[in-house]
Amino acid sequence: MPTFVTLTLGRSALLASAISLAATVATAAGITLPPDSSTLRPSTLPGYALAQQKCGICHSADYISHQPPGLDQAQWTAEMGKMQHSYGAPLDRDEIALIGAYLAVAYGSATASDTRVTSLTASWEAAQLARDSKPAGGGDAVDVQALLTANACLGCHALQQAVVGPAFSAVAAKYRGDATASALLANSIRQGGVGKWGQVAMPPMAHLGDDQIRALAAFVLKQ
Amino acid sequence: MYRTKAVIASTHRREFLRKASALALAASPLGQAMASDTDEGLTFAAGPRPLVSYPGKRPLILVHGRPPHLETPFTVFNEGPITPNDAFFVRYHLADFPHTIAPDTYRLLVKGAVSKVLSLSLDELKTMPGQTELVAVNQCSGNSRGYSSPRVFGAQLGNGAMGNARWTGVSLKAVLERAGVQAGARHVTFNGLDKPVMASTPDFRKSLDIEHALSPEPLLAWAMNGEDLPFLNGYPLKLIVPGYFGTYWVKHLAEIEVIDHAFTGHDAYFMSQGYRLPDNDCLCVAPGTAAAKTRPISTLPVRSFLTSVTAGGVLPAGQMVELKGLAFDSGAGLKTVDVSIDGARSWRKATLGSDLGRFSFREWRLPVAFERKGPASVMVRATNRQGEVQPMKADWNPGGYRRRVVETTSITIA
Repeated sequence: MPTFVTLTLGRSALLASAISLAATVATAAGITLPPDSSTLRPSTLPGYALAQQKCGICHSADYISHQPPGLDQAQWTAEMGKMQHSYGAPLDRDEIALIGAYLAVAYGSATASDTRVTSLTASWEAAQLARDSKPAGGGDAVDVQALLTANACLGCHALQQAVVGPAFSAVAAKYRGDATASALLANSIRQGGVGKWGQVAMPPMAHLGDDQIRALAAFVLKQ
Repeated sequence: MYRTKAVIASTHRREFLRKASALALAASPLGQAMASDTDEGLTFAAGPRPLVSYPGKRPLILVHGRPPHLETPFTVFNEGPITPNDAFFVRYHLADFPHTIAPDTYRLLVKGAVSKVLSLSLDELKTMPGQTELVAVNQCSGNSRGYSSPRVFGAQLGNGAMGNARWTGVSLKAVLERAGVQAGARHVTFNGLDKPVMASTPDFRKSLDIEHALSPEPLLAWAMNGEDLPFLNGYPLKLIVPGYFGTYWVKHLAEIEVIDHAFTGHDAYFMSQGYRLPDNDCLCVAPGTAAAKTRPISTLPVRSFLTSVTAGGVLPAGQMVELKGLAFDSGAGLKTVDVSIDGARSWRKATLGSDLGRFSFREWRLPVAFERKGPASVMVRATNRQGEVQPMKADWNPGGYRRRVVETTSITIA
C-alpha cells in the first residue's frame, strides 16, 4: 500500500489579517503523491510491450485493470481507437489492433488462441522479420526523429524541460564525462526503469534494434 | 487465467471477513453497516480495488492511481449529511497538475469579452463584494457507472463518487460583473491548473451559458466545511455549480474566459465530445445502442440511498429498527422519501431531517420492524417538489452517466 503523506496547507489570509500582519504569510500548499504501483498483466502477445510503452504516458495501469471483466476484442479495440482519436494517444492502426487484442486476452473475454488474435500476431511477426532482415549498414541510417515519434518518447520527454520524465538535456548533463554513458543509457532505454528520475516508470523499449537504441542514446547524450 | 496466488488469497480473506462480520452483526442487537468492502457489489477485470492513502485523505477506494481518482467508501455516508473533507471523493482527468501551489502568488485570470481583464489574488477574492456560502452536493457524472447493464468503459464507480459540503467563496456573478461582461457574451469557459501530459490530448475545460454564469448560484469557493479546500479537491479555488454534476466543478481554477461565440475546438472536448447524454426526453437509449444526437450533461436527477445498512447487512427480526439514509436533487427540493420493505408492494413515508439548503443532502429516517427471518430488501424512492420521481427500472446511456433508479438493498433478517 502506498505510504501516507501529510498535506500541509498554508494558513489563510484571513488568519493573517486577523493578527494584523501587513503582508500575507501563507506558505505554499504541497502534496507528494504515492508512487504508482499498478502494472499490466504480462503476456507474450506483441500488444503487451506496446501497451507498457504507450498507455503509461498518460495514466496508470489500473485504468485498465479496473474496467469491467469480460469485454471482448472488438470492445477493447474500439476503446484503443478512442484513446487515439479522442485523447491523442500516439497509436497507429496496427498498434490499436495489437493493444486491443492483448487487453482483450489479458483482461477480457478473448483467448490467445482466437484466430483474430493469432492472425494479428502473425502479421506483426512477419513485419518484424521483414524489418530485421533488411541489409545492415550504409544506406540504412537510423532516423532518430521517426523513432522518437513512433515510440512516443516525446509524450514523456522534452529536450529542455522535465515533462513526465526528465529533459533529454538533464540526462545528458547527468552522464557528461562518463565513459560508460552510452552503454548505461542504452540499457535504460532497452529495459526501462523507475526511481532514477521519479516515480513514473519508463517502459522498456526492448522491441527496438541495437542500432536504434544506440542512435537514441547518442541523440539524448548530445543535448 | 492470469489470476495470481496473491489475488486468490485476498479473495479468500475477504470471503472470510465477510462471513465473520456477518456472524458478528447477526449476534449484535442492532443491525449496522457492514465493514467496508471496496468492491461495492461490483466486479472488475483484475479487481479488487484496494483502499489507499492519499495526501489529506483517510483511506479511500482506489479507482485509478495516476491521475488520482478515489471513491468514498459508502459507509461514510451514514456519518451524517456533510461529507468530511478527508473522505470526499477525488477525480482528475489529466496527469500533469501542480503538486505545489503558493497561495500568495496564485492568481485567477478573468478575460475575454469583458470590459476589464482581471488578475485576482486569493485575498482580493476573499474581500470583494459577493461573499457567499452554501451547502451543495457534488456528484460525479459517472457515479454508479459500475452498475450500468450492459456495462460500459470508464471509471467503474460504485455509489461513492458523491459528497456534500459547505462551500465558502464569492459568487461567480460578482466576479464577472467586476470584469464587466460585454454585450454579445454567450458562454463562460473555465480552466484549472491541470494539463494534459501530451499536447495532443485535450485540456480539461468546461463552459456554462452566460445566463447560468450570471445567475445567483455558481460560486468560486476556497473553503470546504470551514477549511481550505483539500489539495486534491482543487486547492486553492474551485468552481461550484450547485445542482449540476461535478464535471463542471473545475478544480485549481485559474482562468475564466467570457466568449461571444460557441465553445469549440480541441480544448472544448470535455463539453463537445465528452460528458454528453442522449438528446431526448429520457436522456437514454436502448441498452447497448448509440445515441443519434447528444447534449452536454447538466443537472442532478433526484436520488436517494439507504445508508444505515449496506448490501449483505443483517438486521434483527421482530423489533423496531431505524432505517436511515440520504436524498438529494438538483435544487427543486425534496418532497417525499418513501421506503418499501416488501418489494414495492407498499411504501411508507420517511421523516426528512433538517434542511441544510435546497442543493444539500437531506437525511431521512424511518422506524420499521421486519417480522420474518431470512432474505429481505429495502427500496428507497425520492420525489422532489417538481414531481420528479425516481424510476423503478434503470435507464441506460452509452457513457454510464446519471444513474437515478430506485436503489434496492438486499439484506438478511436474523
